[in-house]
Amino acid sequence: MLAAFRGEMFKVVRRPAVWVSIGMLLLLALLIGYALLWFVFTHPPAGSSQGLPPGTSLSDNKVALYPANLVKETLGMWGDLGGVFALILGVLFQGSEFGWGTIKTLYTQRSGRLVMLFGKLAALAVMVLVMVVALFAVDAAASLFVATIDGRDTAFPAADVIAKGIGACFLIYGFWALLGICLATLFRQSAMAIGLGLAYGLVVERLVFGLLAGVGGNTINEIQQWFPIANTTYLVQSFGIVSIRGAGSGAKPFADATHALVMLAVYVAAFTAITAWFSRTRDVTS
Amino acid sequence: MSDSITGTQVPRAAPATVQERVVETRGLTKHYGKTIVAVDGLELNVNRGEVYGFLGPNGAGKTTTLRMLLGLIRPTAGTARVVGAEPGSPASLMKVGAIVETPAFYPYLTGYDNLRLLAIYCGVPLKRVDSTLEEVELTPRARHKFSTYSMGMKQRLGVAAALLKEPELLILDEPTNGLDPQGMADVRNLIISLGKGNRTVLVSSHLLGEVEQMCTRIGVIRKGKLVAEGTIDELRGAATLTVRAAPADKAREVLEKGSGAENVKVIADGSFSLKVDLRHTAEINRQLVEAGVAVTELHANERSLEDIFIELTGTEGGL
Repeated sequence: MLAAFRGEMFKVVRRPAVWVSIGMLLLLALLIGYALLWFVFTHPPAGSSQGLPPGTSLSDNKVALYPANLVKETLGMWGDLGGVFALILGVLFQGSEFGWGTIKTLYTQRSGRLVMLFGKLAALAVMVLVMVVALFAVDAAASLFVATIDGRDTAFPAADVIAKGIGACFLIYGFWALLGICLATLFRQSAMAIGLGLAYGLVVERLVFGLLAGVGGNTINEIQQWFPIANTTYLVQSFGIVSIRGAGSGAKPFADATHALVMLAVYVAAFTAITAWFSRTRDVTS
Repeated sequence: MSDSITGTQVPRAAPATVQERVVETRGLTKHYGKTIVAVDGLELNVNRGEVYGFLGPNGAGKTTTLRMLLGLIRPTAGTARVVGAEPGSPASLMKVGAIVETPAFYPYLTGYDNLRLLAIYCGVPLKRVDSTLEEVELTPRARHKFSTYSMGMKQRLGVAAALLKEPELLILDEPTNGLDPQGMADVRNLIISLGKGNRTVLVSSHLLGEVEQMCTRIGVIRKGKLVAEGTIDELRGAATLTVRAAPADKAREVLEKGSGAENVKVIADGSFSLKVDLRHTAEINRQLVEAGVAVTELHANERSLEDIFIELTGTEGGL
């Protein structure tokens, strides 16, 4: 499997689309997550204090941008949204093989199909980790810069908290990336896989449970806790939300971090198994 | 040369002395759904060292068969052994190089990097990449991206990729498809040179001229079934030579002495039909002339591969 992994790494590090996906996430994290928010919080528009708790202003939210809140801010902002880029990454890894017809080139080399797949999954895991670490690094640099120009505390959370944050983000993005590779394998193309992945992640689960929550109450929450997007949210919420002037510690998530971790791990395993089964048994006719 | 000129034609290229089977299929069958039978009980035998032409009209089942031999498609029924192992198994793949339909590579990588990638997958030393590129004369364009390659260059890179592992068996599916006449000639010559020695080449095509030039033995497939297999000469059957000469009695005597009475037939118009190796035509002429016979016509009657193809498949070759 080492040869398959080395081959996949050889390909992905030379593939512009992979770096564009990662780069876009980092750019958005920098521009929207820090630059835009810092500008809005520093120069609040007139009347922006309306609707905020008494005695607070929009600029109080700047605390979220400082290093102490690195993990909460990064996960809160990009835990779910960034998953879209991991989904694209997963689709790119597999969907393009069908599009270019290189799947037959892959399968006629030395190793069996499953070995090639697991080499690919290992390379995908490395690139997802690169994506997550780069996201935290960019956010850390941005938060440090913001705190420095605002003259605020530049202390970061403890290393174990950052490590847990990176681990949680890696699991969430890993789930998305495996959803991408699984859909690309099922549909043997990229466009359908990205379309359906985005539709499910951003619309279907949220929309369906959002609508049902109004009529079903707690029963809907009981059901939703077994679905993946809900669990990515529980995992993000388990890190807490940024407290502004002591307010807004946030409601307790419906399910705890352990539940979320187990559920996401189950989904990762399930997507891996489905991808492996289809990769192994399907005819290659493209 | 012996005076006796008899028997059927000698195959143009002798098959391997020891008939070691490199590809062997038994009842190989592939159905798509309940109605489409792509390959139907195929019994294919490819011997070591031969360039085997897999001939058939479009849609006859050639590509499906080759994909099954590479493990890309699973047969519905039957078995296959490729270089002594199950198709698609690592033991088989390591000894097989292949191009299936159009060569598929990564467009954002250079030709060189595409081969490097395959070398990594196969555990082949990187120095093989350079020598293989040289072998297919692609070195000058090796550092350019695959997406900028012409069809001919893509095909040559495909051949290079197939050769990278120094395989015992090369499987080439319509390797001259989409090439201009010069490109076709280049690939054809390359295949002929690759087929020399102990390497086995299984090449599919629907172009008769191509197969005739490259292959030592052919199999003809029609509607998923192998309808004929053998050397081109075996498939043609014995050629005949029409001889018109005077005096007829003397001519007959000379011809029967040289070719055997059983191989000489008198035709209604007074000429003779000889079952003979056509390479002996000049010798027959010399014997007749030396015996004082005036030869007015020597005419070879040889079935073309196209005739055989049409007869076997009911289609025009190369269409």
